Amino acid sequence: MSSTLLLLVLFAPFAGILAVAAAAHVSRAAGAWTAGAAMAAGLAGALAMAPDVFGGTIVLWRVAWLPEWGLDFALRLDGLGLLFTILILGIGVLIVLYAAYYLPKTDNLKRFYMELLGFAGGMLGIVLAENILLMVVFWEVTSLTSFLLIAYKYQEVDARISARMALAVTGGGGLALLAGALLLGSTAGSFDFSVIEARAADVRADPLYPVILVLFLLGAFTKSAQFPFHFWLPHAMAAPTPVSAYLHSATMVKAGVFLLARMYPILAGTDLWFVLVSSTGAITFVYAAYVALLKHDLKGLLAYSTVSHLGLITLLFGLNTPLAAVAAVFHIINHAIFKASLFMAAGIIDHETGTRDMRRMGGLFYSMPRTAVLGILAAGSMAGVPLLNGFLSKEMFFTAAVDYQGFDGAYLILPAVATLGGMLGVAYSVRFVWDVFFDGPSHAMPKTPHEPPRWMRLPVEVLVALVFVVGFLPQWSVGPLLTVAADAVLPGQVPEFKLAIWHGFNLPLAMTVIAFGLGVLQFTRRHKLYALQERFAWPLTSPVAFERVYRGAVRASTVVLNGLDSKSLQRNLVLFFTFVLVLGAYAWLRTGWFGEHDAFLTGSIPVTPVDWPSALAFATLLFGSVATVRYRRSRVSAVIFLSVAGIVVSLAFLRFNAPDLALTQLSVEVVTIVLLLMCLRYLPVSPEAVSSPRRRLRDGVIAAAAGVGVTAMVYAMLTRPYETISGYHLANAKPGGGGTNVVNVILVDFRGYDTLGEIVVLAMAALGLSALLAGTRMPAVPIRALDAAERYPIMLAELMRPMLPLSLAVAVYIFLRGHNLPGGGFIAGLVAAVALMLQYMAGGVDFASARLRLNYVALLGVGLGVATLTGVASFLYGYPFLTSTHGYVQPPVIDKFELASAMAFDLGVFLVVIGTVLLALTELAGLKRGEVAGPDVPPAEREA
Amino acid sequence: MAHLPILPVLLPLLAAVLLLIGTSADVGVKRAISGSGIVLLVLAAAAQVAAAGDGTISVYKLGDWPAPYGIVLVLDRLSAIMVALTSLLSVPVFIAATAGTDTRGPHFHAFLQFQLMGLNGAFLTGDLFNLFVFFEILLLASYGLLVHGGGLVRARAGIAYVVLNLSGSALFLIALGLLYGFLGTLNMADFGTQLQLVAPEDQGVVAVTCALLVTVFLLKAAVLPIGFWLPHVYTAATLPVAALFVIMTKVGIYALLRVVTIGLLATPWSAGLLQPWLTWLALGTIAIGAAGMLAARSFAGIAANLVLVSGGTLLLAVAEPTAVSIGAALYYLVQSTLVTGALFLLADAIGRQRGASEDDLGPGPRLHSYTVLGLIFLVLGVAACGAPPLAGFIGKIMMMQAMEASAYPALVWVALILSGFVAALVLARAASVFFWEPGAPGIEDKPDVPYLPAPGLTAALVLMTMAIITVSVVPAPVASYARAAAEQVLAREAYVTSVTGDPAAVERERRP
Amino acid sequence: MELLVSVALGVLTASGVYLILRPTTFSVVLGLTLLSYAVNVLIFFSGRLKATAPPLTVEGLSRQADPLPQALVLTAIVIGFGMTAYLLALALKGKAESGTDHVDAGEPR
Repeated sequence: MSSTLLLLVLFAPFAGILAVAAAAHVSRAAGAWTAGAAMAAGLAGALAMAPDVFGGTIVLWRVAWLPEWGLDFALRLDGLGLLFTILILGIGVLIVLYAAYYLPKTDNLKRFYMELLGFAGGMLGIVLAENILLMVVFWEVTSLTSFLLIAYKYQEVDARISARMALAVTGGGGLALLAGALLLGSTAGSFDFSVIEARAADVRADPLYPVILVLFLLGAFTKSAQFPFHFWLPHAMAAPTPVSAYLHSATMVKAGVFLLARMYPILAGTDLWFVLVSSTGAITFVYAAYVALLKHDLKGLLAYSTVSHLGLITLLFGLNTPLAAVAAVFHIINHAIFKASLFMAAGIIDHETGTRDMRRMGGLFYSMPRTAVLGILAAGSMAGVPLLNGFLSKEMFFTAAVDYQGFDGAYLILPAVATLGGMLGVAYSVRFVWDVFFDGPSHAMPKTPHEPPRWMRLPVEVLVALVFVVGFLPQWSVGPLLTVAADAVLPGQVPEFKLAIWHGFNLPLAMTVIAFGLGVLQFTRRHKLYALQERFAWPLTSPVAFERVYRGAVRASTVVLNGLDSKSLQRNLVLFFTFVLVLGAYAWLRTGWFGEHDAFLTGSIPVTPVDWPSALAFATLLFGSVATVRYRRSRVSAVIFLSVAGIVVSLAFLRFNAPDLALTQLSVEVVTIVLLLMCLRYLPVSPEAVSSPRRRLRDGVIAAAAGVGVTAMVYAMLTRPYETISGYHLANAKPGGGGTNVVNVILVDFRGYDTLGEIVVLAMAALGLSALLAGTRMPAVPIRALDAAERYPIMLAELMRPMLPLSLAVAVYIFLRGHNLPGGGFIAGLVAAVALMLQYMAGGVDFASARLRLNYVALLGVGLGVATLTGVASFLYGYPFLTSTHGYVQPPVIDKFELASAMAFDLGVFLVVIGTVLLALTELAGLKRGEVAGPDVPPAEREA
Repeated sequence: MAHLPILPVLLPLLAAVLLLIGTSADVGVKRAISGSGIVLLVLAAAAQVAAAGDGTISVYKLGDWPAPYGIVLVLDRLSAIMVALTSLLSVPVFIAATAGTDTRGPHFHAFLQFQLMGLNGAFLTGDLFNLFVFFEILLLASYGLLVHGGGLVRARAGIAYVVLNLSGSALFLIALGLLYGFLGTLNMADFGTQLQLVAPEDQGVVAVTCALLVTVFLLKAAVLPIGFWLPHVYTAATLPVAALFVIMTKVGIYALLRVVTIGLLATPWSAGLLQPWLTWLALGTIAIGAAGMLAARSFAGIAANLVLVSGGTLLLAVAEPTAVSIGAALYYLVQSTLVTGALFLLADAIGRQRGASEDDLGPGPRLHSYTVLGLIFLVLGVAACGAPPLAGFIGKIMMMQAMEASAYPALVWVALILSGFVAALVLARAASVFFWEPGAPGIEDKPDVPYLPAPGLTAALVLMTMAIITVSVVPAPVASYARAAAEQVLAREAYVTSVTGDPAAVERERRP
Repeated sequence: MELLVSVALGVLTASGVYLILRPTTFSVVLGLTLLSYAVNVLIFFSGRLKATAPPLTVEGLSRQADPLPQALVLTAIVIGFGMTAYLLALALKGKAESGTDHVDAGEPR
């Protein structure tokens, strides 16, 4: 039962989100109550399980998410988890109450509480996760929600950028953590903490251990703002004070040190851990304390003191000694308590005085004594004044520092560092108290300060009360919790520690005294330091700097991409052809050259002798293609040379026993040329289109290489024998396909599916063409071109008209014989289309448009439909798509029917071809109409 | 349901035929035809997923001619996944397009249907030349969809895209011609079989042929250095179209995967053809995509470069095909397709509400449906940068674990993590621009723009978001199906025997 | 003869590629057409040169040409034709929109 309760604890805040979304519509207070209730409910649930935990059991709950990839929704509640749950939700409740008064009445808190609850839920997930990947999941949830919270006042540019900065740092750290978690999981062979803990020794022995450790530490240090990743935290103060009070006392930054605590039994205990963790902690501890002293902004001071205290905790974990670990856990508690109260006090002051600049405020002790007392006590705890909780953990820290027996000399450095940090801590605490509450009432503050509403002060009072209770009766108040939490960090090896106020006269006490003495002294001489501050502003840490870096990255990548010139088609083509050539060469060298067998280009077939016609054709082809290149600018001649090449190609087909191809190639040739010539009128030579000699040389080289490559491959192919499946087609064309023209049988039967696709392409080409040109107006056309275009049809006119029926008859003939002799639907369609096209050319636009009033788009549809339905028809006989009905119907109709089936499909082809060609032509004709001024058919009508 | 394999090709074709015949009908009718076609398509795709789920490889003999002589469709788990993904994606795309995009030019729905036909055909065919034919179908359809809406930018992008792809098609044909010339077959399964019989002295030329074939697919998959065209083309298209185009790079990946697993892996000398350079190119592609995201000036630009990144990520798995890596890659493919597609639709939704400043990453007027778009942005953004707890994260950790055994695990991990990091930064910036800067509640200093609500678009977005959340919360079914598909594609012999029967029994004639 | 054919195809390809790399859309169209010639012939000759009869199953014919490549070429020709037509339209569109027929619409290069 209790384990499912664990799930409820975790989901209390998330459920709260929805509840708030609903309740906030009712009233501002309702939203607040709901949020508070959600947190309280979670807390209650956790406390209900507390007995089990104190009893030493670890509450587990698990449901599979993606187990085979290590991702499992597994939760655990141990001492550490319980401690943090109490901090997160307990302080969370206080924050909810506080925010209701702090935030302006105009704000109905809906968004605030939803984001806050989301964040709290994320934190809970981190501390309750049993599966490390699940922990990473919630880790990033906190990164995201804190991003939203910091940007709560998004109207201020600072808030926006600071939020992105925090996301960059903590989210980035989270990614490092993810990598670490995955590595750790694969090293330990499991993603469950309990299992990994059992295999901790192997993990620490693994060669990957340093990598894992560093990745985890990156995650921890970024989250808990350790030097040099600390800079995001002070700027996160752009968030409203309740957010700061929450994120920087009990939660966000504590996630980092929680990770250290969680990983302590697995990763700690090595020299590397000691060096990295303790040194980072020490530097942060001192450096941040020093900076805190220089801050005039109230929240700035608190922010840096937070960083400093986190450094202290980190340092303690880094020492690898049990007592230090206990001290660390203890200080986590104490810091959470007094820092939360301090932030809230600061918030009250800010709220009541209208400023956060300590140079502008003072003497508040007289105007708001209660708040002042609370603030002074909390600050005292921060400084480590006896009888307050801060004193105890700091004392333990000093003790641990003194007792440390690690590296040679380290035991000398540590106490010094500790004292120095303690001294600075005292200094900024004193400054906080003095500048704010005393130091004369003479300052001019935006508002005249007075006590806040008592409910706004209540959370502070509660926390300060705790400061006292823990300070006076540590063993009684936090002793058990601390013990059980420490037991999670140091499983089974918690040292004997005595939470007492008085340890007698010893070195730590002396250090405390020194720290206080020097601290006060330092405080009196602080003004000298302020002067330095301006010069020692950390250069890389302001939002401005972050934005500058980001913009820099943007600019850099823009430059790179522009350098690659990725927009230009020509560049992309060059890259493409080069890539093909390089890859081909690579394949040849790899397999052929350096492969174990030496490969040859020439195969085993004896070459056939060259005959004269072929040689002549070859010469013509060379001439045609080269001339096309040479005269590409004088375009009409280029087209003519092109057609020369094309005709040679069709002759080649004829010469090598492919009459169908020859016919098709020829008719396609004609249509293509006509289309080219028609478009030519709109594409005059443009002067700027002459590329530089270097470019032409480069392209020439690429082209030549491509030519050589093709030559080589084709030669290799032609001189090799091969084994083909096409014998089957020759054998089955007549019996299976009912035709003697194997090519045609393949087209309409064996590979009819290809043909279907082919006419779809054809239809789409026409469709796309008409969609493109619909409503396009070409710029005015040079007169000469027009003449050229108009003159030659005239002579054709008389000649062509009688030929129309004739050529149509030819088309039908070709269509009919196709299945057994060269021909077929496609060629027939082209012949018919050519005939009609010649009519158009002869008669001109008006003649054509007078006769060609069909809806070609619909014609395309009909053609495709006929072909498709022929294919579907075979479903009726229970045969697959496009099965020719040959032999599936009883005699005597069989012969006719079989013919009909193939024909129906071919008819579809025929129609599509005609539709395509004529649609293309009329669209181009329409273009011509389009550019003539005067009465004109609007594109819309023409399209229909 | 004997004809199930052909349905995803046939249904869009019939819908397109109706659309052409009724070309002069008004847009409502066309939408009805197109929409019902897509509904049927989704049903067919679902049936296919179910049919292939138990591991059966259904072979559909077109014209009732046996492979390898005739063309066959092969429906296995991988094909089922791809077809299902295409059909699913087409639903929101269609809904979004009906929000006005489809009336910005003629024949939109016909092209949409042809596009679906081409895609599904390519995913289902078991014949290399037929693959070429369907590549042409889906390309021509994509040309039509790309320039739909008109304008200089689209015309330019169109020319670039068409010419590049025509060069690619020419290369495809050259490769096929040589392939037939050397191996005498066109069937994929038979291709693998014949590859094993290549005499040592012929291996060089055959390897070159395979390299050419691979290049064609790499061009479609938009890998460095032949992938620069992608962002420009995708950002030029109308955004619902761009959302559909997301699947197109996946066609290249799919075809590559097929040729590699059925063909190249069949023999030792061709198995290593892609390594190690493909991994490097994939990493480079990811890097370029990340840079592109930073440099992007519009939200659609970010999405387009994310497509580049996900393509590169998938190629990592194709470069080192194992059951684990391909399984992970297939899950990644599903989620990244959904996410990037949804991002394009989101760009459309945002752009429509910001008047002239469209989806540019600069200040603009107030968003009308601020909260809805904000929430959707949150979900999609999280998923897109691979942040927990959504599918992007799951896909990422799957890829990272799968690549742990790869040749350069550290590099791969760094690439995956950094690309996600950059995405996070860029999307955070975009969020700040769209939702927090001028135009946001409280700082509405920009004049409002007239805004016509597009319920269809919002509906499509919600649909996509729901789908993404679903594959995030219950990833196991998809993941295990993907894993099973990976194991199936790697089991060559089973595939070959189920397509061509006993390879030795294939009638071959030695020529000349 | 084999060498002759190979060189012919090489030349066709080379001129095609060179034209495709030219900056004006019209040259690109010419180039693609040349390239498609080369491609079609290449596929066609994947049936070799040795046959002496067209692929008809009529009495008295022997050593027929390999019919499969021929069928493929037919499909290729048709598709190529469709593509050319479409590309031409696109070229016109580009010209109409940008006023130039530079493939990169008047970009410096």
